[in-house]
Amino acid sequence: MGRGATTNSIPEIENARFILVIGSNTTEAHPVLALRMKKAARNGATLVVADPRKIWLTKLAKRHLQLRPGSDVWLLNAIMHVILREGLQDDAYIAEHTEDFDAVAEVVARYTPEEAEQVTGVPAADIVATAREYARERYAAIFYTLGITEHACAVDNIWSLSNLVLMTGHLGYESTGLNALRGQNNVQGLNDAGANPSYLPGYQPLEDPELRRKFGERWGVEVPETPGYRLDQMMSGLHDGRIKALYLIGENPVQTEPNAHHVEEGMEGLDFVVAQDLFLNDSNRRYADVIFPASSFAEKEGTFTNTERRVNRVRKAVPCPGNAREDLRIVVDMAKALGADWPDYRTPEDAWNEFADLAPLWSGIRYDRIEEVGLQWPCTDRDHPGSPYLHAPHPSRPSGKGKFYPVEYQPPIEQPDSEYPFVLSTGRTLYHYNSATMTMREEGVVQKQEDPFVEMHPEDARALGVAEGDWVRLVSRRGELEARAKLGDRVYPGLVWMALHFAEAKVNWLTHDVGDPLIGTPEYKTSAVRVERVGGAIRPAAR
Amino acid sequence: MIRVGDTMIPMARTVAFTLDGQPASAPEGELLVHAAARHGVFIPTLCHDDKLEPYGGCRMCVVGVEGSPRPLPACATRVAEGMVVSTDSSVPQYQRTLTEMLLAEHLNPDPGGRPNELVDLAEELAAEAPFILPDAKREPYDDRNRFMGYDPDACILCNRCVRYTQEVMQCSALSLEGRGPHARIVPTHGYSWLDTECELCGGCLSACPTGAIYEKFEEGTERPERTLEKVKSTCTFCGVGCQIDLNVDPETQRIVKVTSEPHYVSNEGNLCVKGRFAFNFVHHPDRLTEPLVRGEDGELHPTTWEHAFRVAAEGLLRVKEEHGPQAIGVLSSARLTMEENFLIQKLARTALGTNSVHSCEAT
Ligand code: SF4
Ligand code: SF4
Ligand code: SF4
Ligand code: FES
Repeated sequence: MGRGATTNSIPEIENARFILVIGSNTTEAHPVLALRMKKAARNGATLVVADPRKIWLTKLAKRHLQLRPGSDVWLLNAIMHVILREGLQDDAYIAEHTEDFDAVAEVVARYTPEEAEQVTGVPAADIVATAREYARERYAAIFYTLGITEHACAVDNIWSLSNLVLMTGHLGYESTGLNALRGQNNVQGLNDAGANPSYLPGYQPLEDPELRRKFGERWGVEVPETPGYRLDQMMSGLHDGRIKALYLIGENPVQTEPNAHHVEEGMEGLDFVVAQDLFLNDSNRRYADVIFPASSFAEKEGTFTNTERRVNRVRKAVPCPGNAREDLRIVVDMAKALGADWPDYRTPEDAWNEFADLAPLWSGIRYDRIEEVGLQWPCTDRDHPGSPYLHAPHPSRPSGKGKFYPVEYQPPIEQPDSEYPFVLSTGRTLYHYNSATMTMREEGVVQKQEDPFVEMHPEDARALGVAEGDWVRLVSRRGELEARAKLGDRVYPGLVWMALHFAEAKVNWLTHDVGDPLIGTPEYKTSAVRVERVGGAIRPAAR
Repeated sequence: MIRVGDTMIPMARTVAFTLDGQPASAPEGELLVHAAARHGVFIPTLCHDDKLEPYGGCRMCVVGVEGSPRPLPACATRVAEGMVVSTDSSVPQYQRTLTEMLLAEHLNPDPGGRPNELVDLAEELAAEAPFILPDAKREPYDDRNRFMGYDPDACILCNRCVRYTQEVMQCSALSLEGRGPHARIVPTHGYSWLDTECELCGGCLSACPTGAIYEKFEEGTERPERTLEKVKSTCTFCGVGCQIDLNVDPETQRIVKVTSEPHYVSNEGNLCVKGRFAFNFVHHPDRLTEPLVRGEDGELHPTTWEHAFRVAAEGLLRVKEEHGPQAIGVLSSARLTMEENFLIQKLARTALGTNSVHSCEAT
């Protein structure tokens, strides 16, 4: 359904009557947004959680669909199967606002809830009940996040969800829709701004020569036509020699990329690395030739765009420490050092205005309008009030019709076997932020959660002779690490779960980097591992 | 349509009532405290919090309602047709007495330098503690968590904190313990928030009207006496984009605490542990403060900006010359602002000549 953003707004959540949370540990990843879900549930909304783990929200949920990792497509197809079998679809919406419905109807006809139970582990009756509740409720909203996108079949999952939404017409009005929760504070803004190899700012396709000309004219330089490399292509380019230099701005690929040992080898082969960051980290300390000391969010002016597409102001509260500088100044001076003929960009507002002039969906958003309250794009002129929800009155595609994409289930790339019998799933926790270079410096946070831990089911632990808090070793085909066992029924037998944050036990040493062929999202979510007992309660010597 | 509990009911009709002898109107069912405020009559409240369900515990907001034998709390009474309400006769005296009684048990008006609604109210009503209750001292406990503290001598037992945990967070981390002069608020299991299911969001703290629950300041630093400057900004830790106020000590130029206001959209003044407490990274001694360039010895050495830019530009241009622009990749970050990201992609596309600009956090 086009753009990766939430279709609806955060305040609308509390008025939803049915909420499906699939692959989003919302209370930990988006805690304050989850408060609205809690409020909705308190007001009597039906909450259904689909997640391999028992997450906090399952406590409030009417139903927990505890599916096996990577089986989302099966589950969603089966839900659609029930909707169509029982005639609960919105025929008028399908006829008026969508295309290619038949293709999906044909595929989901083969995904019965009974068979889904075998593949997903979710009881057929629960699938049927969920399908009925979702289809019958008008104010029905779906929320998903990395849980569903960090699979090799990421795009399939999103298409499945979009099919489900289109077939029920749950789109284009308040308290409904398909809501992709953005992880980092400004991922939305990063994408909107065009930090993307195939889109110019404002999702304007690079391949369109007209658009390249428009940008080239404003910038006084021709925009190169050759598409750039995506992250995963850059990472593989480290090895095959396509990439010789990197400019890393606030990034630590050695920690955050899957198959981290492989990334480290690649980084060693680079001719030149420039880094710009707040702290030294594993990537810049070892591989950078030049490091620029940069600014934190509290040291500069600008905007972040949140998950509901709202452009919010960021303001300077304190000066940069020492000789550190605002990132905007660094980038402008770097461009000049490279010989570019740029305007001065005295303030971030100058940069914003250039963006808003070039990106039609943002052209009505200007700093003077967002002093007090942020505006939500699309906002096409100065009188436009912003857009709390998208796809009204019809799906925003050029044709005005939402497109159904039939999706077939594909099993996760790496299945457990006798040598690596456990499924490892990964995610984030409340207390940390990605590679934790910021939050691990917060004493009060470290107090709450310090050693790397792996969640496992007590049954598995018993079989391995592992007790709560014991150190265990996780071994995959790509690497190994040690962590403390945290026992509980948050995971089911055969599944282990680990957070992404810990520098000393990088879970990305274990995961693999076979990405989704279309968008290149690495498969963090499922890998096969073996669990070994090491030294009981005694921490193994650092290696 | 408005929603009440489980059902949608048609928009409330407007009803007429009498407020201090004047005719007034309000949507049926509106809380009296709000209806009165719209007519310019401000009724003081203490245990009331718009984020929470009507409670009516402290009786600070009582008003006279014709036909009712007792005064009624305006924060928990809803307007009905023909209601006759008075806030003028005996009410101010009642409020002053109530305030004085609370002050008598309120030994420490200022444990953490947070705003104190009781003290403000006392000032407004010219109320003073008539005496200090001899057994008013309640047993404190030392919580080992680094973010929040509780001083029972500042607590007026209004239960806002506990209701916040139950209604908004929907956790059971806090409860009221004991009775009478010994009553206090405690973490539900043991005497530390860390031993409960508390997620350290600081919501109970923000709900507390007296500052009895307060922010602990960074070890070794005193709470500044100076007035803090508030700078409104956006949280940097996740895509919810909560609106926050960075409270800065103007003298040290350090962030002292983070607060938020109930009228801020998207988060309504709520925050999580990261937004409220994880700001110290900004002032961490590990922050990079000088440009660094790797020398012949393989080590990183501090240098000037000018030199750093020159080395960086030469290095990148050399790679561009030898291998073409496609050999350079730019990885930007979702932590940076929109404006910075816009210029970073422009740098890649115009100054380096490559479209290879992406991020590790594209989701
Ligand atoms: S800090 Fe937040 S989670 Fe902890 S007790 Fe208070 S409201 Fe509950
Ligand atoms: S701690 Fe604060 S909010 Fe809680 S009961 Fe005491 S005064 Fe009220
Ligand atoms: S306060 Fe918490 S929920 Fe709000 S933006 Fe920050 S990290 Fe996200
Ligand atoms: S504020 Fe109304 S009873 Fe406390």
